[in-house]
Amino acid sequence: MLDFLWLIPLLPLASAALLMVTAGSLPRPLIAACGAGSVGLAALCVLLTGLSWAHDPVPRQMELWTWMQVGTLRPTIGFYLDGLTLVMMSVITGVGFLIHLYSTEFMEEDESLSRYFAYMNLFVAAMLILVMADNLLFLYLGWEGVGLCSYLLVGFWYRDPVNGAAARKAFVVTRIGDTAMALGLLLLFTELGTLDIQQLAELAQGKWQPGDTTIVLATALLLGGAVGKSAQLPLHTWLPDAMAGPTPVSALIHAATMVTAGVYLIARNHELFLLAPPTLLAVAVLGLLTLLLAAFTALNQHDIKRILAYSTISQIGYMFLGLGVGAWSAGIFHLVTHAFFKALLFLAAGAVIHCLHHEHNIFRMGGLRTRLPVAFWSFLIGSAALAALPFTSGFYSKDQILLAAYQWPQIGPWLWAGGLLGALLTAIYSFRLVFIVFFGEAQTEPDRQPGWRMALPLSILCVASIVGGWISLPLAEALPATQSGHPAAAVEWISIAIPVIGVSLAYLIFLGRQLDLSALVNSGLGQRLHQFWYSGWRMDALYNWLWVRPYQFTARLLKDEPVDLAYNGVVHTSVALHHLLSNLQTGRMRWYASTMVGGLIVLLAVLARAG
Amino acid sequence: MTGSTTAELIPFIVYFGGVILLVLTMLGLSFVLGQRRTNKATNTPYESGVVAVGTSQIRLSVEFYLIAIIFVIFDLETVFIFAWAIAFFELGWQGYFAILVFIAMLGVALVYAWRCGTLEWGVKTRVGLEAKDN
Amino acid sequence: MNLAAMQGLLPLLVLGLGAAVLMLQISIRRQLGWSYAITVATLLLGAAAMEPAMQVAPLQVTPLLRVDNLGLFFGSLFCLSGAVTAVISRDYLRSREGENEEYFLLLLLSTLGAVILAYSTHVAALLLGLELLSVALYALIAYPERGTLPLEAAIKYLVLSGAASATLLFGFALIYAALGSLEYAEIAVQISAGRAATSPALILMGAAMVFAGLGFKLSVVPFHMWTPDVYEGAPAPISGFLAGVSKGAVFIAVLRWFLESGFFQYSSLLAGITLLSIASILVGNLLALLQTNVKRILAYSSIAHLGYLLIVLVAAGVSPEPGLAVEAGGYYVVAYVITTLAAFSLLGLISRQSGDREYDQLSDLAGLFWKQPGLAALFTVALLSLAGIPLTAGFIGKFYLISAGVDAALWGLLAALVIGSAIGIFYYLRIIYTMTTVGEQANPGTTADMLVGSRLVVYLLIFAMLYLGIVPEPLMGYLRTIL
Repeated sequence: MLDFLWLIPLLPLASAALLMVTAGSLPRPLIAACGAGSVGLAALCVLLTGLSWAHDPVPRQMELWTWMQVGTLRPTIGFYLDGLTLVMMSVITGVGFLIHLYSTEFMEEDESLSRYFAYMNLFVAAMLILVMADNLLFLYLGWEGVGLCSYLLVGFWYRDPVNGAAARKAFVVTRIGDTAMALGLLLLFTELGTLDIQQLAELAQGKWQPGDTTIVLATALLLGGAVGKSAQLPLHTWLPDAMAGPTPVSALIHAATMVTAGVYLIARNHELFLLAPPTLLAVAVLGLLTLLLAAFTALNQHDIKRILAYSTISQIGYMFLGLGVGAWSAGIFHLVTHAFFKALLFLAAGAVIHCLHHEHNIFRMGGLRTRLPVAFWSFLIGSAALAALPFTSGFYSKDQILLAAYQWPQIGPWLWAGGLLGALLTAIYSFRLVFIVFFGEAQTEPDRQPGWRMALPLSILCVASIVGGWISLPLAEALPATQSGHPAAAVEWISIAIPVIGVSLAYLIFLGRQLDLSALVNSGLGQRLHQFWYSGWRMDALYNWLWVRPYQFTARLLKDEPVDLAYNGVVHTSVALHHLLSNLQTGRMRWYASTMVGGLIVLLAVLARAG
Repeated sequence: MTGSTTAELIPFIVYFGGVILLVLTMLGLSFVLGQRRTNKATNTPYESGVVAVGTSQIRLSVEFYLIAIIFVIFDLETVFIFAWAIAFFELGWQGYFAILVFIAMLGVALVYAWRCGTLEWGVKTRVGLEAKDN
Repeated sequence: MNLAAMQGLLPLLVLGLGAAVLMLQISIRRQLGWSYAITVATLLLGAAAMEPAMQVAPLQVTPLLRVDNLGLFFGSLFCLSGAVTAVISRDYLRSREGENEEYFLLLLLSTLGAVILAYSTHVAALLLGLELLSVALYALIAYPERGTLPLEAAIKYLVLSGAASATLLFGFALIYAALGSLEYAEIAVQISAGRAATSPALILMGAAMVFAGLGFKLSVVPFHMWTPDVYEGAPAPISGFLAGVSKGAVFIAVLRWFLESGFFQYSSLLAGITLLSIASILVGNLLALLQTNVKRILAYSSIAHLGYLLIVLVAAGVSPEPGLAVEAGGYYVVAYVITTLAAFSLLGLISRQSGDREYDQLSDLAGLFWKQPGLAALFTVALLSLAGIPLTAGFIGKFYLISAGVDAALWGLLAALVIGSAIGIFYYLRIIYTMTTVGEQANPGTTADMLVGSRLVVYLLIFAMLYLGIVPEPLMGYLRTIL
């Protein structure tokens, strides 16, 4: 199977190509079968690959072909397979397949089913390329590919201009990060003369001392790309808006896979980042700030998908924190468990939305515990894992990150404390969601129940969300080990207790009503704070004021101004020259012959002058 | 351009000038020295004393050109056979086979021209078109 | 003429024999199906004959021709292109009444001329190939008798081409006068021996006139005027042949003549070529800008592409290491020939039953994506390749060209290339845009009644353009070994 590695991204790619070319002329069941089946087959291939790799678990590099060889530039199309790749591939195809299966029912009535599956398959292919690539240029192809698919899928229902705007925002904001990343790649290439990930690591260690300016700059630029794609501060604003896409899309792209690409990028290039302690510190601090900021925001939302979106941002913040404090495997571990429970949450939310006439507002739901039992149990398990209640998968991964943070020298305990605060908030907002949506009085009646194609993925993901914490990932070879040593037992106990406290608080506030915060909330300060957090710390407004408005202002200012004049000038000149030259094409042979003679004379004159 | 190359071009320039001069001289002299009469026969073409009959713009049948071009082609090809015949002994068998191939090609061309009705005047009996012509 | 020489010339022999057989077949029994089959079989055999011929390469056969990898490779490329043209023409000619057998005969002879050009190492062979290529094309251009346009195109091409050939001959005569040889290798010896120093002006003027003559065939500005008129008038498959094979073959011949005769040593000649190149790039692209006839757009775009290709000559002359430039030129020719064939094939296929006018207006293409997605995909890939968008053959070719230009530090030419490409994208994308609009255009040709051969060719061309864009290294490596 290891020789057929190329088959894995090819399967969804071929399916995407087929669906695009046939453009919806296939029968609908076939479209669904093609879309979900190709990913399922890819998942099967990954499974086989994993089994055969387990026999001989050494990293291996597979060069398929050299794209072209011009001078020293020699971009190859090749794959690199190690534990990290395998973990990512499993998540992408495994969770991806479940979400595709779910989509076959969720999107059943959509007129553009073929387009949907074409984009989804293309996304899976691009994401696989991203994680399997053995060099950064090929990785960048996948990176841009997933960005494109994200854009296409966020704006999937393009008839509503709001969705189009959300897609555009997602594209533009991530592009800022991508540009930084491209610069980083160029810098690495000029400095080291290669983009092969393994060679880069070797050469960098030979060339630079930890903390050298160049490597710090290069990694900072890569971090810029990671921050954009993974929706971290300060480029996180696009993710909540990206919820405009269909819910399975949010589950796959904006929760389970694509947004974790930044985490993958950093983990994959950990050798480079280890040479740049300042960047690593920035990773940790950015992660912490993001997780807190997003948690506060999530607490104040009332759109079910936006809550989940902010919680995604927050959880990726944990992963960044883990990477930043050197808990590489823990970060990836959290990525995996998060993929399980966040996909579960999104899919369950999708089921709720699907059965509730596309209702998004949690305050118009309620009492769904008995009416939508499948969604309820899924949501409960997902939220438990998200809140990191003991014995769920999220608990193990988050616990590892927090402990590693505590052990980090200097500001470690501070990071730990911040992470704990975040965990408390996570528990509160996730169970706030559960209590409001599934308990209390019914507001809207569901008009249908999810069928087996929705229920099955939910059940599988429920199991994965619980037992996912007991899997041991084959990361020992691929990533450096976390520093050993156990902190004081108290630290561990606090880590365990915090989520429980959070859930209890949520119960007291939102369900039991023993803890009445209405006075606090309704006070002037409370109102303003609510508004502030509701708007996501006014980040959108800030950016609007800081970047968008000045940009638009400048654009308006320059609309008829010299700079534009130059561009228009080019156009006008081209058109004028076109007309001038067209008039020379008279169609008369005499004239043609004379131009030939004239041309010859000019040529002779040039030669005479130059000679 | 360097001096030497300019010097090299001088014969050309002189030659070019000479041509122009010659043409101008001839035209000029005949213009100056020639007689000017306006008789009936002045503007008729000179046909060695014979009075021209009819118009010069006769329509020739297109077959005329076809036959003419075929004649020219095959006529010209004999030149190569002559060349081979002169060097017959020097070229030996190799030359013999070469000219054989050459003549065979000519033969194929002749068959083609013949069957396409190129050699016929008037009603064609081309291959595949019999039905149409009748 | 020994056996090895016969083996080396096998592609030429196959093509010649095929032409003779075809003539006999026509004289015995006129039947289009047979003529078509013989033509395609001959062309494919001619391409396959490269394999045995390669075993004896390199081999000089008479002073006129040399059998080497370059000639063989491009010879078989031209044979295959001829086969593609034949297949598309078969579909194109289906609705035409009257005798169509000679069409294939002429195509075969024209391809033979192109192959001879690829082999030529002597002025005589060059002229022979060139005239064989052109004379057959005069007739092919006028073949369909759709309205007066084809006749007009053929007459224009005939007369102007005659003038160009005369210029070419005169140029060669001047060079002969100065150096006393018509053989490339001998000319190179003479030039490096310093004999040229006695009469550089003669040689330069000769070379300039040769460039003018061949520049006409390559439709390089200012010898380009005929191009749009002729392409517009000629049947679409023949326009493709004219733009792809004819130009490709002439370019290979120019490349050989230029490099093997040592003319690249004249810096003033390089200055002249630079000028021609820049003019072609800019004028070609500007002329295509607002054009509404797709064939004319493609004609102008081919002018620009030949301008890009001329960069190769300059780079090969300037750079101390001409290998990269020649490789780039080889790759670009392959990409250009395939892409051009693909673009004109589309026009040929949609114009199958269009009556006395071809569907070559931009508005005829409106909504093609919804009516014939397969053909629209072919055209889209071809246009993207012409525009040089990544993952197509055209991108790799252009990239190669740019790196060769950078290598030789030809900043002026590169600037022209960049500006030209930028203008180019506008009109290429405009065609693609038109194809996606939901038009109410009457367009009777449907994919359903396309012949199997055409269908196969369409898929092959799409595959070739994408394959060369995604996996270019095999061809690059191959060119590197043979050049």
